[in-house]
Amino acid sequence: MKQFLIVSFLFVASYGAFAAGGAPCGDYGECDSFKPKLNNIESLQLGALTFINHCYGCHSLKYSRWGRIAKDLDIPEDIFTNNLVFGTNVKLGDRMTGSMKPAISETWFGIAPPDLTLVTRLHGSDWVYTYLRTFYEDSSKPYGVNNMVYPGAAMPNVLASMQGQQILSCKDVPIIASNGGVRRDEMGNDITEEKCGYLKTIQGSGTLSVQEFDEVIYNLVNFMTYVGEPSRSDRERMGWYAILFFIVFTALSYLLFREYQKDYH
Amino acid sequence: MTQQSSGFFNWINARLPIVNTYERHLSKHPVPKKVNFWYMFGALASVVLIIQIVSGIWLMFGYENTEEGAFASIEYIMRDIEYGWVIRYMHTTGASMFFAVVYLHMFRGLLYGSYHKPRELVWVFGMTIYLVMMAEGFLGYVLPYGQMSYWGAQVIISLFGAIPYIGESLEIWVRGDYYISGATISRFFALHVVALPLILIALVFMHLVALHEVGAGNPEGVDIEKYLDEDGVPLDSVPFFPYKVLNALVAIGIFGIVFSIIMFFFPEGGGYMLELANFEEANPLSTPEHIAPVWYYSPYYAMLRAVPDKLGGLVVMGAAIAILFVVPWLDRSKAASIRYKGILSKIAMTVFIVSWLMLAWLGTVPVTALRTNLSIIGTIIYFAFFLLMPIYTSIEKTKPVPDRL
Repeated sequence: MKQFLIVSFLFVASYGAFAAGGAPCGDYGECDSFKPKLNNIESLQLGALTFINHCYGCHSLKYSRWGRIAKDLDIPEDIFTNNLVFGTNVKLGDRMTGSMKPAISETWFGIAPPDLTLVTRLHGSDWVYTYLRTFYEDSSKPYGVNNMVYPGAAMPNVLASMQGQQILSCKDVPIIASNGGVRRDEMGNDITEEKCGYLKTIQGSGTLSVQEFDEVIYNLVNFMTYVGEPSRSDRERMGWYAILFFIVFTALSYLLFREYQKDYH
Repeated sequence: MTQQSSGFFNWINARLPIVNTYERHLSKHPVPKKVNFWYMFGALASVVLIIQIVSGIWLMFGYENTEEGAFASIEYIMRDIEYGWVIRYMHTTGASMFFAVVYLHMFRGLLYGSYHKPRELVWVFGMTIYLVMMAEGFLGYVLPYGQMSYWGAQVIISLFGAIPYIGESLEIWVRGDYYISGATISRFFALHVVALPLILIALVFMHLVALHEVGAGNPEGVDIEKYLDEDGVPLDSVPFFPYKVLNALVAIGIFGIVFSIIMFFFPEGGGYMLELANFEEANPLSTPEHIAPVWYYSPYYAMLRAVPDKLGGLVVMGAAIAILFVVPWLDRSKAASIRYKGILSKIAMTVFIVSWLMLAWLGTVPVTALRTNLSIIGTIIYFAFFLLMPIYTSIEKTKPVPDRL
């Protein structure tokens, strides 16, 4: 226990030294921005489809229930049960506890795939959206892929068939001068240098184009954002009524206050 | 019927001082007629206390105080209980807002010398409330049993271990185990929902009784008891009900708007109110990258970290809270209010506020060499503000305080 404390204290103490320059999305730098659309039911449905077909094999959503998703996403129960619920013993009121036993998956992957119910709340939707799109081929890794956001991630690129081959490449980029502008030569042309570490998708190697793939991931992360907090759209809708109530409340009590204040002013 | 019910009322009133209490504390309780918005935060603090108690009781319906069940039960409340998320966010937002209004309330006290004679005890009770609130907030933060609950508790409980001789035994005694476990959760639960709220309510009662005995202050620092009418009521006062209740209602309305904006649109408060690492269940085998307290402890956490020695840090942090208790005896100024104090007090107050806010920020970010130095400077300014108070408040020239409000 003592060691834990010492380690945690050292961690806290030394964190600043190397974390000061740490970008939120690892080697990728700043995460790509993700704006959820929780009222877009179609996007959520497509996201649920992708999740259950491609993610649920390994990852659970153990705090969420099947029936809640069917209800919130306007999917009729029979369609939902026949197309999305795999397993004969599953009832709609059950929690989505996953289909893989952690003990088995630990021997397969070295680490049990984490539950994903709250992943968008823990890391942020931006992070998840960027993470899922930044796998690249790396033959030194057991699954042949690595990730820019989370280098060394123990997860294979499950959606590689859609995305196709993504590799790290180099390209010429303009040199930025210390004043923030682009450096130019006497002729006025930009001076460039070769920089590496850029993601490049090999065209035609996947079933989807880059835009189509981004959209699949968008819907998926939109769904995961919903699962992280299923009441969020209700919350934001009800918030306006609460604020409106207090505005009226304030206005009425102010009028009353002003009337009574005349007694002593 | 009316006669009957008034007969009943008289029967009760002869045995229970309803009318007397109502008149003494509401309808005839004199309060200064001219106060500003700074005087609203006390009322708001009692509103938040009620929110916390009510939402807390509702949370208990669904919460499970075990190591295995605590984290999942919070998600159960958030998902499976109808409007459970309203209750939960009300409680988490309430916790932050409680500290926000109490800090503003305390600042009002410093600004207008609310602790000046005869209100020393009101201040001391208030400071005790603040101390209990800090413990209450900490205990509550451990209950969801997320990563930050676990590691925050680990850091804070380990502070007890820094106390010489008894430290290690004390640490185990507080935790109820050799490491943070179900035993810790269940005792923290009991303390958070029963013991400390009882103490808190008793202290709030004493705070108000003491306040009503000596009467509320005002931003001018004028003693309104000097000029009384023929009934012995201060001339510059109005009855609490209905006049000041209406002030409070306006304040509650504005507060409700702010509270709703945070609760419904930013319940995580950008990670300062609900830390994002707490969306992961406690894992004793994995330390979060950066352990930071929620915002309301951060100035004192910055002071703790500013001192390289653990025991030294604990002493500094304890002293920073303890020194607040004796402020009534440190301020030697003839004027209570900053409006009539001299230039030295005004400079001291400004520097103090800036450095306190800086410490609050420093407590939430990872340490670097520069930030540690800033924390040390902030800590020195914090203590200098109080320790030098007897000097600068007695040598400076104050302006004459008016007689009437």
